[in-house]
Amino acid sequence: MPSRPLARADLITGLFFVAFGFAVGLASYTMPRLEERMIDPWTAPGLVPGLLGVIIAVLGAAMALRSLLAGALQAAAAEDADPEETRSGRKRLLMCLVLCFAYALGLVGRMPFWLATGLFVFAFVAIFEWRAGDDGRARGGKLAAALALAVAAAIGIPYLFETIFLVRLP
Amino acid sequence: MLDGLIAFAGAFSVFANLTTLFNVAWATLIGIVIGALPGLTATMGVALLTTLTYQMAPEQAILVLISVYVGAIYGGSRTAILINIPGTPANAATTLDGFPLAKSGRAGEAMGLATCASVLGTLIGVLFLAAVAPALAEFALSFGSYEFFWLSIFGIIIAGQMTSFDDALKGWIAGFIGLLVAMIGQEGIHAEPRFSFGNSDLAGGIALIPALVGVFGLAEILSVMKGRAGVMATRTVERVIPRTAELWRYKRTIGRSGILGTIIGIIPGVGEDIGAWVSYAAARRASKERDQFGKGSREGLIAAETGNNAAIPGALIPALTLAVPGSAPAAVLLAAMLIHGIRPGPLIMIEAPTFVYQVVWMVVLATIAMGIFGLALTRPLLTVLRVPRERLMPIVFVLCVIGPYAITQRLFDVYVMLFFGVVGFILREMKYPMAPLVLGIILGDILDKNLRRALVLSDGDLTPFFLRPISAVLWITTALVVILALPPVRRAMTRMMHWEQKT
Repeated sequence: MPSRPLARADLITGLFFVAFGFAVGLASYTMPRLEERMIDPWTAPGLVPGLLGVIIAVLGAAMALRSLLAGALQAAAAEDADPEETRSGRKRLLMCLVLCFAYALGLVGRMPFWLATGLFVFAFVAIFEWRAGDDGRARGGKLAAALALAVAAAIGIPYLFETIFLVRLP
Repeated sequence: MLDGLIAFAGAFSVFANLTTLFNVAWATLIGIVIGALPGLTATMGVALLTTLTYQMAPEQAILVLISVYVGAIYGGSRTAILINIPGTPANAATTLDGFPLAKSGRAGEAMGLATCASVLGTLIGVLFLAAVAPALAEFALSFGSYEFFWLSIFGIIIAGQMTSFDDALKGWIAGFIGLLVAMIGQEGIHAEPRFSFGNSDLAGGIALIPALVGVFGLAEILSVMKGRAGVMATRTVERVIPRTAELWRYKRTIGRSGILGTIIGIIPGVGEDIGAWVSYAAARRASKERDQFGKGSREGLIAAETGNNAAIPGALIPALTLAVPGSAPAAVLLAAMLIHGIRPGPLIMIEAPTFVYQVVWMVVLATIAMGIFGLALTRPLLTVLRVPRERLMPIVFVLCVIGPYAITQRLFDVYVMLFFGVVGFILREMKYPMAPLVLGIILGDILDKNLRRALVLSDGDLTPFFLRPISAVLWITTALVVILALPPVRRAMTRMMHWEQKT
């Protein structure tokens, strides 16, 4: 049985899966049946995805119902044992997502791979190792380490993949 | 029998050369390092190395991948013992007793026992692989479309049930979503694109490796960065090699865990992590020192590490003979075999009879290398664990981008990785297991083709689905798993068990 705060999340995802399952079912129903090709109707392309859509909707409904019975509507948020850590955890997660997406969507493919990788590694290490209380010397040391790692990655990774293992890079 | 032995001996000749030794050595070592680094799992390791070995000869490439697989599942025990963070999900049970042992100043002993248990577990599993796989392949020749349809449903239901201990519903939802993901792109009978929305990349379908790298790579990076940083229990290590008498004392636990781990490995999609948990639970039930479990029991540590490594050869059995992977890393291996032109499935003993035995040798060679490295390289491996996550994760992410791209040279696969990484992370945070999702992506095609073929064969008649003998076994087992997971039935079962204990 899910714990109370999860019960509400389960209710929402359960309802999402019901809607998603129906949408998939509908899309499968309207898929071409290829009658013009005289295919056996049992091999219609929409058959299996349609069934899967219905099953997902049923499972979603079961989960929504279960979380309702577990008290999803009355659920109060659980006491956070360490709100400071939760906040900084979320901040780290968001920053990590932004950096990874910026690299994969923004940099890769738009500039040489070594440069994109070097920039990403430097930014990642520099940002995550940044501490407000550091003095100039500590900060300089950390930035130098980030730069060294970035240069090593920018040279080493393409060399390993392209030269040794003959793999093409973006 | 004699033919089998001759083929087994013959299979070794392929590996009796220096290239093999070199490949086993570096790949197992990389596997151990990958396993030891939190944020890099065995699945991710095998997926990345699939990219690197793309240009190698097939048997050497698969050898490298199996070495990485064996090494990674073992390597995770280091992190579990020293930092209390499982290096791979397979080592979660190892933390329970490994970390207390390390905290009490017996880290070396714990690492030595974990190494020996892993070696013995893999070897027990390998015996089953050599004995069961050829027979299972022969048996699977009698499978028709009806049986393959039920096998895929059975796989999803049992993987969903077993990988999410107390909430089968989430496991099943993950599994059916995986099946649905496999529906994207041109279908296998009429080549009609489904859910492609006019996009030519989507019409090509979602490949397994980008999805896996997302779910096990990016999602893992996000989890590691969100969580607290680990702290090492000790920086000094004493004697590592355990005494033979000590191991002999736990022979029953090792034997039981080895067999249980292998059986769990054979079950589709249920891999090393569950192998370890089930072995651990069984060892605690049978143990005389039950109260020590969780406080630094050597027996608990041995059970977990034997169980997870034994699941590796176990997971390879259905992958080779039915093309249904027993675990997530085995799913990548399956994809890699297909890339290299090896076609796993019931015909494997006819089309490539020596290949199964070659795989047996590959696992044995990797196990030997794992044992040697595990006992000899304790201190260098400690340095690996000191790499801070802030410096490691960007490099891991760069590899996550390269991995999917390198095989097809499409940036689309990088976007697939990103999508599955974020979705996988959200689902994991909400306690959905990922193994059924991965299994679903593989089984989707099998389910789709075989259900439709079977319906054509029977002209829409459903009775063969239920009355053919193997089909009947599969659907009845599936139905039982579903019924036993229903909350009212579970409650009734618990009441009955308590009632029996009281009387």
